[in-house]
Amino acid sequence: MKKWLLACFLASHFSFAWAEPVTQAEPWRMLEKAAHAARDLSYKGIFTYQSGENSRSIEITHMNSGQGEYSRVVMLDGLPREVLSQGSDIVIFSQRNEKIVIEKRRGKNLFPALLPVNLDAVKLSYQARVSGQERIAGREGVVVLLEARDAYRYSYKLLTDKEYGLLLKVTTLNEGKEAIEHIAFNQLNLLNINDMNWFKPKVDPMKPYVMEDEMPASVASGNGEWKLGDLPSGYKLIDHIKRKVPGKSVAVNQLIFSDGLSSVSLFIEPLAKGARPRVGHTMAGPTNFYAQVSSGYQIVAVGEVPQAAVLHIANSVNFKK
Amino acid sequence: MKDQISALMDDEISLKDAEYLYTALKANGESRECWQTYHLIGDAMRQSPVLKAGLRDRIMQQIEMEPAVLAPRNEDVAVANATRKTSLVWSVAASFAAVMFVGLIVLQQQPQQTEEIMPLEIAQHFPAEYLQAHQSLAPSSAAYYIQSAAFSENSR
Repeated sequence: MKKWLLACFLASHFSFAWAEPVTQAEPWRMLEKAAHAARDLSYKGIFTYQSGENSRSIEITHMNSGQGEYSRVVMLDGLPREVLSQGSDIVIFSQRNEKIVIEKRRGKNLFPALLPVNLDAVKLSYQARVSGQERIAGREGVVVLLEARDAYRYSYKLLTDKEYGLLLKVTTLNEGKEAIEHIAFNQLNLLNINDMNWFKPKVDPMKPYVMEDEMPASVASGNGEWKLGDLPSGYKLIDHIKRKVPGKSVAVNQLIFSDGLSSVSLFIEPLAKGARPRVGHTMAGPTNFYAQVSSGYQIVAVGEVPQAAVLHIANSVNFKK
Repeated sequence: MKDQISALMDDEISLKDAEYLYTALKANGESRECWQTYHLIGDAMRQSPVLKAGLRDRIMQQIEMEPAVLAPRNEDVAVANATRKTSLVWSVAASFAAVMFVGLIVLQQQPQQTEEIMPLEIAQHFPAEYLQAHQSLAPSSAAYYIQSAAFSENSR
């Protein structure tokens, strides 16, 4: 009798433990593991990006042997382009018109480290659930669906490595749940190396290297002319800079909004005399653009988000009368 | 310079320590040229031909120099109505000139008005510079490596 009760108790406990947290916490725990794995592991692989007719293969080498992250990303198709990063410093070498242009950037969440380590913001705007298994690049993976809670962002189908947690594949789904963008490993190996011989760009001594002209940008604070109204839910202003753009006499405001995963840039600039204002909507792959003119200002919103989000963000700018 | 690049290749200087090399390499940057070319073209497109002075005079002169189109075939009628016909021809020519003149003014002015009032539809004029600026600062994007590369190839 005692044994039976104990069995009962254990069974019920077990089933409870299985029913609740598995559906709620498990997918988020897997995504958290994916975010950490992409940054903490050392790996080398080839992945393919595909959107519409645009398809490219990219080689990535990522190393973290406890002394920070180092990575080298090489575009295998089209014009030569390399991205070398150390921690949050990124240097990009791209060939343009027989020259190699060097650009410097700051930290980004790039595939397979697409997910931020802190998923709190993402949890507010998306719901996650485990939906099956898939095998890709010789690896077994678990599918986690990250579904948008509203129409202001895309949904994502994420495949995480069963063993290492690393993101193996990301499919971006539009409002109609149609796949509009894929990024997936074709080949992936974990590395066990310590040498840094691989961490350098392939240099072409026949070509001139030029540093990209950094456009002066400064952190902008308050503005007397306009203010932001209601934003689409979940989006927060994470950056605001003023950049001087050659050919334009007045600095352009660039505001960046993010929901933790998707981001939108909002450009606000006084419309120069004689300049043709830009209006309307267009899209390129998953990126939506919306432009309008208000109170003598050119407003442009750009982001890898549905049209509704760029529209809403562009319309959130209010001018003081 | 070449030595330093090869040193960079051979790992004698790490990428991090090569900051001064980048600064040394900094010359007339491609991106600025792109921007300038873009605006140069934009400005060129905006400049409508100005209505040149003396246009009206030149039109009138041209009409005067033109031979009479309605050359009288029938001598009998022609002689009798010569004076009236000539003046008719001239009034037709004058009104034609007037119409031409107005038409030219309209033609000259139209593009100016269109450009000042009619905005650019971004669906027809892809706002590539905004996409670049967005991608350079957006915290995450799956398309980051790919789109900007594809874009720079297209915009060559």
